[in-house]
Amino acid sequence: MRPAEQGGSFVLLAQILVNGVLLGGLYGLMALGMALVWGVLNIVNLAHGAMIMLGGYAVYYLFTGAGIDPFLALPIAIVGMFVFGYLLQRFVLNLIVRSAMLNTLLITFGLNVVITYLAQLVFSADFRTINPSYAGSNVQVLGITVPLVNLGAFVIALVLAGAVWLLLNKLPLGRAIRATAQNLVAARLYGVDPRQLYAVTFGIGAALAGAAGGLYGTIAHLTPYIGASLTAKSFVIAIIGGLANPFGVILGGIFVGVAESLTALYAGPTYSDVISFGLLVVVLVIRPARALRAA
Amino acid sequence: MSALADTTAKAPAGRTILQAEGITKRFAGLVSVNQVSFEMVENEILGLIGPNGAGKTTLVNMISGTLKPNEGELRFEGQPIDALAPYQRAHLGICRTFQVMKPFPGMSVLENVTVGALFGRNGGEKATGKARESAREWIEFTGLSHRIEAKADSLGGPDRKRLEFAKALAMGPKLLLLDEVMAGLNAVEVEEVIELIKKMRERGVTILVIEHVIKAIRSLSDRVLVLNHGEKIAEGDPAVVLEDPRVVEAYLGRRRQ
Amino acid sequence: MKQSVSIILALVVVVLLVFVPWVASDVMMQFAIDALLLAVLAQAWNILGGFTGYVSFGNSVFYGLGTYGTAIAMTNKYMQLPFGVGIVLGIVLAVLCALVIGLPILRLRGPYFAIATLGLSAAMGAIVSNIPIAGSNIGLVLPLIRADTMFYELSLALLVACTLTVLWISKSRFGMGLVAIREDEDAAGTMGINTTAFKITALVLSALFTAVAGGIHAYWISFIDPASAFDPTLNVRMVIMAVFGGPGTVFGPLVGSFILSAVYEYLASSISTAAALLFGIVIVLAVIFMPRGLANMIGGVRGKGPRYFLQNIRENRL
Repeated sequence: MRPAEQGGSFVLLAQILVNGVLLGGLYGLMALGMALVWGVLNIVNLAHGAMIMLGGYAVYYLFTGAGIDPFLALPIAIVGMFVFGYLLQRFVLNLIVRSAMLNTLLITFGLNVVITYLAQLVFSADFRTINPSYAGSNVQVLGITVPLVNLGAFVIALVLAGAVWLLLNKLPLGRAIRATAQNLVAARLYGVDPRQLYAVTFGIGAALAGAAGGLYGTIAHLTPYIGASLTAKSFVIAIIGGLANPFGVILGGIFVGVAESLTALYAGPTYSDVISFGLLVVVLVIRPARALRAA
Repeated sequence: MSALADTTAKAPAGRTILQAEGITKRFAGLVSVNQVSFEMVENEILGLIGPNGAGKTTLVNMISGTLKPNEGELRFEGQPIDALAPYQRAHLGICRTFQVMKPFPGMSVLENVTVGALFGRNGGEKATGKARESAREWIEFTGLSHRIEAKADSLGGPDRKRLEFAKALAMGPKLLLLDEVMAGLNAVEVEEVIELIKKMRERGVTILVIEHVIKAIRSLSDRVLVLNHGEKIAEGDPAVVLEDPRVVEAYLGRRRQ
Repeated sequence: MKQSVSIILALVVVVLLVFVPWVASDVMMQFAIDALLLAVLAQAWNILGGFTGYVSFGNSVFYGLGTYGTAIAMTNKYMQLPFGVGIVLGIVLAVLCALVIGLPILRLRGPYFAIATLGLSAAMGAIVSNIPIAGSNIGLVLPLIRADTMFYELSLALLVACTLTVLWISKSRFGMGLVAIREDEDAAGTMGINTTAFKITALVLSALFTAVAGGIHAYWISFIDPASAFDPTLNVRMVIMAVFGGPGTVFGPLVGSFILSAVYEYLASSISTAAALLFGIVIVLAVIFMPRGLANMIGGVRGKGPRYFLQNIRENRL
């Protein structure tokens, strides 16, 4: 569909911006878990997108199977994914935490493959969407359509980012997590077993991925294969937003969301995947310092 | 620049090999090295001292090329080197060791030193066989022959320092920058390293030594340069400089307490 | 010497392999050509990922460019060039791409490089499917030719050439520089290694062999489209094969890819998902239990048997 004619072009642009911002909030939530795990554990989790996908399917089956409203099913998916992430770190990833970055990349890459194809076996390769009765509902503001589901997803993304911020800055557990990011010995000073702390942190990252996946399923298709591109997207956003501040990550997500929406409008939707990569390169070229420092 | 009175006004004798003029480095607004100028003449040993955070390593990083100064000019044998990458400076004969030892961990001692011989001054020795031979000689020279096949990351502290020396020497340096090579060594080992440095100088190498061990500085250096808060506060004969009240206050005094 | 024994062994194996087409069935030939080409991909990846330490998840880009270069040269109505020229065009495209993206991308380290290559491989497919000369998202049909023996011998020759290159790298000044970069890039620079030039050369070599494999594959199956030419799972396979066998060794990636190809083929004939799943499991287990690959496990001086695996875990666990 081509853009509306002259008179509507301003409204159209505003509409695209609103769509981009709402989508971007969700993108930010996707990246939040990756940024947390990366910043604290120094693990770039290439299976992060696959965990988002798992969260999506969890909510899908809770909704279609048990008839639980997607937004109410979200907490269940969050808890489930936390347990999944906790166990994964505790019994698998903790075994290689001290080896080279290459190995953490490879193992999470392998996990991505395992999760993806297990999902294909269990869930089949069919497209799924989470379609509650209110899926098409929206409100009109100044001629701009605001889809309720997207708005809900955006609000939840903000709330969860706030929760992560509170956790990291106000709670003892969060202080221990941040201390771990500095060095391992510090974690012991807080009287916490670092193995537990690593597992809990990764669990939180997985829980955030689960939440993002559940929301993603209400506004886009789920297939077992969405993981890789969501990982790449999360990574881009984590770099743009920085690893330190949850709200920075959300802002990074909004930036990418708006860029994607604009690209889809002006260059065509097939290019919206290209824009993530383009942004990645641009960001890395403009802000290379951190990328270069990381060994 | 402050009206800096050199402790000794006498210009060092001999042919100038390195000239630094008004070198300044800022990190995020903080001045790490401020308008530092000095010269080194061929075959001398210059001691670079100063309290932690005085900018010593930053200065060495700028000479070896891993950092670029914000202001000032560096000349090596009369030629400006500011635009050169670290590897190009290595080809000119500027070699360094690192405060945090940087052997190639997965390589053996022999391989580590061979890399130095293969890529050092003038692009190094192109034939791997010859490079390996010269590496063996330098390993012998630094007294590491008994560990020649050992993996670098299995070496203990003193042997790691020997490896750093052997790597740097295999590069055929004209100017050698030694960044705290004695830290963590006991008195006997410090003596050995001092002997090693003297042996290198006998081979015609010009040497810049960053060191906290004042005794070593005293016995090694022809001249001393003192940095404090990124500024040069004294330069000259060790016996004179190390008694300078400002130096004592800035550096020695604090360390004695 | 041990080295000369393995070289003689390798020669014998190569000579035997040359005669395979005269005894193998059609199905066997299909498998053999696939396995040889995959081994080339793993070996080419090894130059960059194994020796230089730059883990690329985007070598499929060079494969795709080799594929498309060959296909466009052979099918475009203004060109209609022979296969050999097509391969050259594929190489040119891949090498140009390596040079253009190499400069910005090789400045990135560790995960940044890995993800940039991952993103590149995703972007390339989307870009190519918008290019009319490349058949957009429909693809291109190449002249059909039934010459499995030729494709087999070509693939074998390519693998030999690639492996000889890696063998040379492992012995040469150039290779020493690459390994130094892998071990500590900053130190390598201050020791006189022109790290940028070395890394780009490694990338170009890797791209070159990968592109030729793509070109041969295109002509062999005679149909290409963006989804198959830039198939991201190809990256998975080449990386896993090289890592499983032993990155940074000469023969590890070969052994790894032949073993995994055989297992994959066996499983794929029953359930294809299970085969892919197995790849994932293999890489997870390999990283945990034998992070230096098969080559190290067999040739290593460390503990034997279960102790070897425990040692690895003890070194790296929290």
